[in-house]
Amino acid sequence: MSEGPGVSGGGKRRYAMVVDTRRCIGCMACQVACKAEYDTPLGVNRTWVPYKVVGKYPNVKKQFLPRLCNHCEDPPCVRNCPVEATFVVEDGGFVLQRYERCIGCRSCMAACPYNARFMLPSHRTYTPITNVVDKCTFCFHRVTQNLVPACVQTCIGRSRVFGDLNDPNSEVSYLVAKNATQVLRPEQGTKPHVFYIGADRNATEFGRDAYHKPEVMELERSAFKRNFKI
Amino acid sequence: MGDYVWFHDVSWHASYAVYFFVIGIVAGLSFISYGSWRTPALRPLREKSAYASFVLLALGGLLLIADLSQPLRFLNILNPFYLKLSSPLAWGALNIVAFTIASVFYILALRNGDEKKGGLLALITALLALGLPVYTGFDLSVHQSRPVWNTPIMPVLFVALAVASGSAVGALLAAGNAEAQKVLREYMLWSAGAVAVMLVSIMGTTNYGGAAEELTFALMTTGTMGLLFVGVGFLAGSVAPAVLLFAPIGRTQGVVLVSALLILAGSAALRYVLLMAPQQVQTLF
Repeated sequence: MSEGPGVSGGGKRRYAMVVDTRRCIGCMACQVACKAEYDTPLGVNRTWVPYKVVGKYPNVKKQFLPRLCNHCEDPPCVRNCPVEATFVVEDGGFVLQRYERCIGCRSCMAACPYNARFMLPSHRTYTPITNVVDKCTFCFHRVTQNLVPACVQTCIGRSRVFGDLNDPNSEVSYLVAKNATQVLRPEQGTKPHVFYIGADRNATEFGRDAYHKPEVMELERSAFKRNFKI
Repeated sequence: MGDYVWFHDVSWHASYAVYFFVIGIVAGLSFISYGSWRTPALRPLREKSAYASFVLLALGGLLLIADLSQPLRFLNILNPFYLKLSSPLAWGALNIVAFTIASVFYILALRNGDEKKGGLLALITALLALGLPVYTGFDLSVHQSRPVWNTPIMPVLFVALAVASGSAVGALLAAGNAEAQKVLREYMLWSAGAVAVMLVSIMGTTNYGGAAEELTFALMTTGTMGLLFVGVGFLAGSVAPAVLLFAPIGRTQGVVLVSALLILAGSAALRYVLLMAPQQVQTLF
């Protein structure tokens, strides 16, 4: 990948992630690496890997769709935040959050079409940041040190690739140029910067069976709410 | 083995719906208090509705602040260095503050019996009150990814709901005053009718939308949400009062009071469903 923002002069960088779903094996190591990097509390995630079982027995497979903040070019969360607690870093395109300014109105959560934002619980064991909205930062602190995001670092199948889209020599530029890519919910006009290769529209759209919630998930959801008093 | 879907919490919880309901009544009562300067029949409600509006405003404000996960930072929203005017919430905060200031001066003018200033302040208060349902409707309609919310009719619907629920509270406050109730009957009749028409229009558009809209329509018309939306909100809270008030018996005091109660129950249910139901599909994406 190219140098991080602020390291050298030149034009603006536009960081992006390419997720090659053909390479994702669903090991959830990205989710674990992200949790470890940020001490993300139970019940919420900066990145997560939902899947759908597709096909007909015996020819079935799991279709994984790794998810995270799309670091949109035109982010509705930034537009809707009344106190500019969330903002776009011009050089790099990171959509970040100012924890000390966030009032917890959840307007950004309502605005995000990707569910990429979540409310931190009121009690955390090791990290004092509580009761504010949090999200994926594209590992801004790592990228500025010329490292790739934690999820990319750990991805065993090299499904996740990160880099500067404005750098013609970067791997993401190559992948986006040479492959048919998809973004999530393009109709929302957010211009996302997480590009998928091989994403199945059955996994990226609302299914008509969305209401068949597994009972165990509902139990988990209510237990989580009780525990964190939300 | 089933599909694995990560669940997400809804962004705005039911307390926000209570705020919508309260702030709608605040706006409606302000309209009535201003109306009393134009329509002599409403004169007995001038002070009553101004005071009730102010008390409810205080309650709604506290509710809004308590709903923040960082309540003590509510002042951030009024900090000119932080304020972001592309957010409807920022406009809403400015609107609420301006309305509060105008209400305080209006009540002072009423207490001092200053007719000249009172009339002007009533007009200013009513205009600022109009901004309350408009901004709350806008607050929802700007979210382009949410079915039902993302419709330009939402602020208009909230204004109609504010007129309906404010007039309903006014009718209850004016119990025994036939002249005032005659005027408020007209307000309730036409605003409840307008709400019913707008709900039909919203639901029609939603039912013929994409997958998310279709699911939201299913959610809003079946189960508990269906009972609240179609049963309490639409039929009992909009259609029934409009029919009752339009009928020849609609001019009797008992029917006006029953219609007022129905409108209040209906507008509370509508606020709840309009806020919560369109968030449900998104939690599973």
